[in-house]
Amino acid sequence: MPQLEIVDLKAAYEKLVVLEKINLNVEKGEIVSLIGPSGSGKSTLLRVLIGLLPPVAGRVRLDENDIDYANKATLRMLRDRIAIVFQQYNLFQNMTVLQNVTIAPTKVKGRPVAEVTEEAKELLSKVGLADKFNAYPDELSGGQQQRVAIARALALRPEILLLDEVTSALDPELVNEVLDSIRLLAAEGMTMFIVSHEMGFVREVSSRVAFMSDGLIVEIGSPKVVFDAPTIERTKDFVGKILRH
Amino acid sequence: MNYTLQFGQVTEFLPYLAGGAWLSLQIAFLAFCGGMVIGAFGAMAKTFGGRVVRGITAAYITFFMNTPQLVQIFFIYFALPDAGILLSSYEAVLIGMTLNAGAYLTEIQRAGFQSVHRNEMEAAETLGMSLLQRVRYVIMPHIAKVLFPPLSNQYILMTLGTSMAAIFGVEELTGRAFNINAETFRSIEVFSITAVFYIALTLVASMSLGLAGRYLFRAKMRLI
Repeated sequence: MPQLEIVDLKAAYEKLVVLEKINLNVEKGEIVSLIGPSGSGKSTLLRVLIGLLPPVAGRVRLDENDIDYANKATLRMLRDRIAIVFQQYNLFQNMTVLQNVTIAPTKVKGRPVAEVTEEAKELLSKVGLADKFNAYPDELSGGQQQRVAIARALALRPEILLLDEVTSALDPELVNEVLDSIRLLAAEGMTMFIVSHEMGFVREVSSRVAFMSDGLIVEIGSPKVVFDAPTIERTKDFVGKILRH
Repeated sequence: MNYTLQFGQVTEFLPYLAGGAWLSLQIAFLAFCGGMVIGAFGAMAKTFGGRVVRGITAAYITFFMNTPQLVQIFFIYFALPDAGILLSSYEAVLIGMTLNAGAYLTEIQRAGFQSVHRNEMEAAETLGMSLLQRVRYVIMPHIAKVLFPPLSNQYILMTLGTSMAAIFGVEELTGRAFNINAETFRSIEVFSITAVFYIALTLVASMSLGLAGRYLFRAKMRLI
């Protein structure tokens, strides 16, 4: 039984259709990476899944339950189980690192402050920020901010984590510290959707890689197949271009 | 210069001046609070209102931002009685300053509304926050932080602007300084001490705004 089923999903920004017809089943613990040229719909797919852009057609099923993106209660349930990390970190600038991580579990889920704080400190230590609890986002490097964002998402105890180009805004020397945090999660069996341009990393951690173009999943398979022996011409073309670097 | 400073004669009036400073503080504070309320509605009207509402708000702002505040108070104090509305000089000053502040504070708060980052709002939404929680934890602290400098500037300008009330016979700080000057003729001493009172008033104002921001909104604020 797949943990997440995406059936004929279609999405649009007003009249501009960005996802044509997405079909994808994801098993628990799987790591699916989405690759493809800019504007192919990778980030949009994640935005639809988390409910920031309501789908125009199709269905999303989480553990066999249909998600109604127009229903606030269902959305709350969904965001209880799926969390997202953004390219630009999107931390709350007026809160310290610790407050950024604890605000949702305490205020949204109503969990006890002491317990959440303890857990947040553990999470932050895990991503190497044990000495930054009381720092504000603007006092941190991009890589550190992104790791706070990852800890903030994890503090909600999600079952599925969506990572939207989490290293694209970072200087090259900071990329690895973020990737290491994600490797750690991969090893723990977290289900993840990763949109990334770090092809070496994608090949290393993914269970499957989906190549997207023009709002469609053109080809999907193991990293070995998609990178080394793609069957579709457009995939070959894209992979050929990026691997030439 | 042959002038010899003699503060002795003036210092006996210190409690009297302090009373005037207290009145200045009251006028500035009340006008600022009233202006903030007008400004909040004005900013909402300008941001979310229909064409008519936006037009009315724009006309109000244009009038109060483009005519001297003194003229506005003169109008309220001398013209309104002809329309049957009799106001004391204190009331006329307070209403004039409030309406004037409302125009400026509308513009300031509108800028605050527009400065909230869409990114942070989206993050709050995906974390499951309700609209009220987003306003409380994301929008308000952000606005408070962004608006702190222009708001405290406005408050300081208003505190200093209360000296206009002296023209209408209100015995606030400047009004009382005039009285002491007329009695002692120690102009330099009287107005130096008055200046020190104004500096104290404005420092108190910016510090209290800073503290309010820190404790109400958890905004990172400098106190001075």
